Amino acid sequence: MIVNEPTCSSAAGTAPRETFVLNLGPQHPATHGVLRVKMTMDGEYVLRAEPVCGYIHRMQEKMGENRTYAQYLPNTSRIDYLSAMTYTHGFVGAVERAARIVVPPRAEYIRVITSELNRISSHLVWWGAFLLDLGGFTPLLYAFDDREMILDLLEGITGARLTYCYYRFGGLYNDVDEAFLRGARQFVLHMRPRLKMYRALVTENIILRKRLIGIGPISAELCRKYGATGPVVRGSGVPYDVRKAEPYSVYRELDFDIPAFPEGDSMARYLVRMEEMAQSLRIIEQALDKLPDGPVMAEKVPRVLKLPAGDYCYAVEAARGRFMVRLVSDNKEIPYRVKLRTPCLSNLSLFEEASRGMLLADALALLGSLDMVIPDIDR
Amino acid sequence: MAHGEAGVRAGRAMTRRVMNGKDANPEIPEKEGPLTPGLPNATPSGVGQQAGPALEPRPDPLARLPLPFQAVDYGLKGYHLEAAVQPDQVVSAAQHLDREGFSLDTITGVDWLAQGQMEVVYDYFHPSRGLRAVVRTRIPRENPEIPTLSQVFPGANWHERETHDFFGIRFLGHPDLSPFLLPEDADYHPLRKDFEA
Amino acid sequence: MEAQPDLTQLVKDCSPIVRFGLLDDWLALARANSLWPLTFGLACCAIEMMAAGASRFDLARFGAEVFRPSPRQADVMIVAGTINKKMAGAVKTLYDQMPEPKWVIAMGNCAISGGPFVFPGQYAVVEGVGKLFPVDVFVPGCPPRPEALIEGILKLEEKLTGKRRWPTVKPE
Repeated sequence: MIVNEPTCSSAAGTAPRETFVLNLGPQHPATHGVLRVKMTMDGEYVLRAEPVCGYIHRMQEKMGENRTYAQYLPNTSRIDYLSAMTYTHGFVGAVERAARIVVPPRAEYIRVITSELNRISSHLVWWGAFLLDLGGFTPLLYAFDDREMILDLLEGITGARLTYCYYRFGGLYNDVDEAFLRGARQFVLHMRPRLKMYRALVTENIILRKRLIGIGPISAELCRKYGATGPVVRGSGVPYDVRKAEPYSVYRELDFDIPAFPEGDSMARYLVRMEEMAQSLRIIEQALDKLPDGPVMAEKVPRVLKLPAGDYCYAVEAARGRFMVRLVSDNKEIPYRVKLRTPCLSNLSLFEEASRGMLLADALALLGSLDMVIPDIDR
Repeated sequence: MAHGEAGVRAGRAMTRRVMNGKDANPEIPEKEGPLTPGLPNATPSGVGQQAGPALEPRPDPLARLPLPFQAVDYGLKGYHLEAAVQPDQVVSAAQHLDREGFSLDTITGVDWLAQGQMEVVYDYFHPSRGLRAVVRTRIPRENPEIPTLSQVFPGANWHERETHDFFGIRFLGHPDLSPFLLPEDADYHPLRKDFEA
Repeated sequence: MEAQPDLTQLVKDCSPIVRFGLLDDWLALARANSLWPLTFGLACCAIEMMAAGASRFDLARFGAEVFRPSPRQADVMIVAGTINKKMAGAVKTLYDQMPEPKWVIAMGNCAISGGPFVFPGQYAVVEGVGKLFPVDVFVPGCPPRPEALIEGILKLEEKLTGKRRWPTVKPE
């Protein structure tokens, strides 16, 4: 295709320009999964980036209609495997809301502790992978080292490292032990100086700042039009967090801030996530202090759940944004429809508009700062 | 000055400003004004400021809109307001909610095979008021068509493509209704209740 | 109707004319200790593959830490994750682009047999990467622990060299 009008890279005079289509993915080290982006390029500038999804479509919503409520629990961990606890929380919360099951407070506090540990481990993977995309290999190793500490803690109580299936309808299936509580406190003490070290090593690094400050500006209005949530919208200045907007579990009783940075560039989204890790440590500490004794499972939860007919929603703040489960039931053991509102789909939908006219490397920095997990989009 | 030292100093100063609740970079003017003029808590906050407690929805907050919104028990259903409209009213409903500052959460379909209808459900959330609104409509199952929302909310583009993939609902006026999650040559709609693999 | 070709004879006819004996052994040892994997993480197993390459489990000790993004430079394709019918063509293309000798490790239940996503009436998942091309080692788990992936790589090394150089860890 010959384009004759001057384009953003029109340093070479009035020679007719040619654009080409560059295929990024589906196998690519920087697309965080199987995402294909058809980029119409003018030299090094992206004219149009069209994401093509569906390469990891695993029929999660169809499986909801083929499994009982309890049989669907392992699926919930695999939608966004990096914040598996929060996704299970969303599904379990929707069923508990519909069946009017009251969860005992000890279980709620343990859910909060494990969800926030999961959030930190998810942000650590994002941080390591993002820096890997930008060209720095070292932070990945530091991040995975810290993450292994979290995984040891969670493996001690759930038995799994990545795809936990810890929450049940009415609470948890297993109480935490002394080792977990001690380990969680030690982890908080270990992680705070590590975050300081990451700030000195990476956040204040001149190369990172030049790569991220001013790159990929996303306005709050753009976020609103596309339904973007999570660190993407908080990095554009809107302090929207489901834990404060629609409080669930025991977040009302915990004291934490919502970091929001108004610039809207990749650096703002980066700082939001770094600050969120610090806030999660704060939440874990408070939850450990306030952890009451008692049972971890509600009494008289029916073995086979049948929800009354109607539709029910439950939203949680996952590591990537607002995750909502919408259950439609027709009074059978199997749901009639399970709709998963995932944050990455809305977050990625603004990539096409936000990446127009950017350099390719900057577009990848933008993509990394949006924090994509592709099975979250394709479900 | 050593190479990069100015940058490190600027970075540390920026972090200090932000941690004290001020603007990160005072020279650059704020890009956006308040999100929805006239509504409380519309200005962004930096780190260090306590975000307020969750705003309780005011009684009947969308009463002035010409839409049949009804209050719903949030503790049971998970949303505050619900409206059942005709299929040709969904675009004007979206425009009203857009003007109120709502954001599009998701669009989905439900296949009511027994009743011969498909239900299209539009979920909305408000970024600063903490409200959740649901607009639902029903269309006949044999020829499911409904106007598109993508001119009002560009985010609806992908949600409608996905709903078309799964149910075969045609969104009139949609710029590109090609398969989104299914293979490019897919001609089946898997979430229909009469779908055979 | 013509008789079926004698398969044993066919295999004998296709074997290399010139054999190098000790050099073959050395080549096998060299290949086994410097397997370069292709970065082919599709889903959840990819995170455990990354953890296997990171600091605690350290694939570098086995020579396999150089993950190559390009299939032209890779020896072993670790298929970590679910293969979709939409993705199957791309996976096959990647396999074809890898130069010989090449090996495939199917990591995780999805790559072995479709995993937890197989149900009657399923329309999108290829039930196992073995349906597309031959697999050398299967590493079960959902997702398998990084130690399991390392054991899979050691099994592949054993397949290449005929001997296992690292001791088997016996559970206590």
